[in-house]
Amino acid sequence: MAVFSWVGSRRLLSVGALSLPLWFGVSEARAQDGQSLYDIGCASCHGADGRGASPDRIAFDDPLPDFTECSFASREPDADWIIVAKAGGPVRGFSETMPAFGEAFDDAQLQSVMDHIRTFCQESAWPRGELNLPRPLVSEKAYPEDEAVWTTGVNAESPGAVVNQFVYEKRFGPRSQIEIKVPFGFAPAASDSEWGAALGDVGVGFKHAVAHNDRSILSLATEVKLPTGDVDRGFGADAVRIEPFVALGQILPNDSFLHFQGGVEFSTEPDVVEHEAFLRTAIGRTFTSGEFGRAWSPMLEVLGSVDLESGSRVNWDLVPQMQVTLNTRQHVMLNLGVRFPVTNTDQRGTQFLAYILWDWFDGGFLDGW
Amino acid sequence: MVGSRGAAIPVVLVMAVLSSAVSLRLSVPESGAADFGMVSGRAFLAEGTVRLLGTAPAGEPIDMSADPFCREQHDSPVMRGAVEVGPGGGLSQVLVRVRTAPATADPNLSDVLLDQQGCLYSPGVVAVRVGQTLVIRNSDATLHNVRVEPKENRGFNLGQPLAGIESKRQLDRPEIGIPVRCDIHGWMNATIHVLDHPYFDVTREDGAFTLPALPAGEYEIEAWHHTLGVSTQVVTVADGSSTDIIFEFAAP
Repeated sequence: MAVFSWVGSRRLLSVGALSLPLWFGVSEARAQDGQSLYDIGCASCHGADGRGASPDRIAFDDPLPDFTECSFASREPDADWIIVAKAGGPVRGFSETMPAFGEAFDDAQLQSVMDHIRTFCQESAWPRGELNLPRPLVSEKAYPEDEAVWTTGVNAESPGAVVNQFVYEKRFGPRSQIEIKVPFGFAPAASDSEWGAALGDVGVGFKHAVAHNDRSILSLATEVKLPTGDVDRGFGADAVRIEPFVALGQILPNDSFLHFQGGVEFSTEPDVVEHEAFLRTAIGRTFTSGEFGRAWSPMLEVLGSVDLESGSRVNWDLVPQMQVTLNTRQHVMLNLGVRFPVTNTDQRGTQFLAYILWDWFDGGFLDGW
Repeated sequence: MVGSRGAAIPVVLVMAVLSSAVSLRLSVPESGAADFGMVSGRAFLAEGTVRLLGTAPAGEPIDMSADPFCREQHDSPVMRGAVEVGPGGGLSQVLVRVRTAPATADPNLSDVLLDQQGCLYSPGVVAVRVGQTLVIRNSDATLHNVRVEPKENRGFNLGQPLAGIESKRQLDRPEIGIPVRCDIHGWMNATIHVLDHPYFDVTREDGAFTLPALPAGEYEIEAWHHTLGVSTQVVTVADGSSTDIIFEFAAP
């Protein structure tokens, strides 16, 4: 088949090439059937070896993807590949050169081709794209990603504040990711009540997926928060904190999913900033508008934290939210939610939260709309 | 052609693009002789021939070695850019249409076939009515994609990997000169025309065409060739008269 690309790499996927790698337990018989269909429908453009046909054998200039390159081939779930194979590249904002094979192959055949395509990546260390679950507003995902996320929170109650956080995540290798977080915003100063801009405590982090299978992914991570923030405006804690945590992503039946994150924030100045334990979990489900439309993922997050030294009561928050894909390629997303304190409500107020997420590996922010 | 021809009379002739002319004769049909039927009042059958003046471009041989299947389908080289001319300079694959005809619908139209045989489109030019079913078939045992890129209609790009596979499409708006191509076999090109009335034909190998019956009146008639361009004439027809009009495309 012919050609679609995830823009970031400008690589084109062949129609008909999609199967879970054999190491994910797909039957060899189905993969072999997929190979036959791949040879008929895809190999002309994508090459029998998945590396892309030689330019002198095709009549277009679009660069072709390399299916053997795991960094590219493992990132997206089967469903996204199959949709492109079925309806053509434009259905996900990819190359118009990629034709639609939905009238040539049925869904089972397309899946078998997908199964065969998955065999081109021979490294089982790469978590499958299905494990890249919708990102909650607060909890960290277990899946290592290439993303940029701008989150804004508005405190609904006096004295109010507008808190922003920009997160840049960069994946490297099959399982690892580094990130940097830059909080900033506007809030009244405690000293004179005057509103002003402020920088928060910048954080850097490292995450590594230690285990994964076809439905679960478990990661260990550490984040270090530096005391760069404006304490007077509530944007800093005046101490270095080190935050190791564990993150789990779990695929549930019926397009549902679960996130779990638990860890401890250790302070280098416990007299100033107490150690804190936290637990965050989110459960949600993804719905699709029509066969090829937007993905809507309602989620409910439960957030808990407690200061370990003083033994104060646990802070529990609920965050109902809705994530939706904004563009055709579905690599730009919006999430809107509200954080409601459940306990200790005299100390914490309601906060409106929103983020814009850009999965930059899949293409430029303005691509694929 | 159906019907007898009366005496020729002068008509208004507008030379359009190129130094071209189309031969068009309008004539009064004999009773019961025409399948075209009366449009309103007296009807005139139209037939003619499109010709090429000069030496037809021979084109260049296509290298089909990238796909052995394609190469094996032809004993002699297929030429790219060639203009096929029949006896007497007749020019095939020219759409001849009445530009000023009113839109009419017909729910009982038969399907029109665009086939892929020997890694070539057959025919290279198809004309369909708005809403008429276009059957796109791959008769080759090799992968073709059929990329149709209209400006007024909704485009599509079909992967057809299996011999005998067919897809059906209907185009909703009139549009002339919709390009069709295969991205795998770069020499494969075709043209689809979509019209909202029945007053059109695509010239045969000898350059001849036939139009359905026309009522008396003034018509703007166009001949459209995918490489040679467009030529248009205004023809005024009176009751009981017929005429010959010559359009000739100049060879490039």
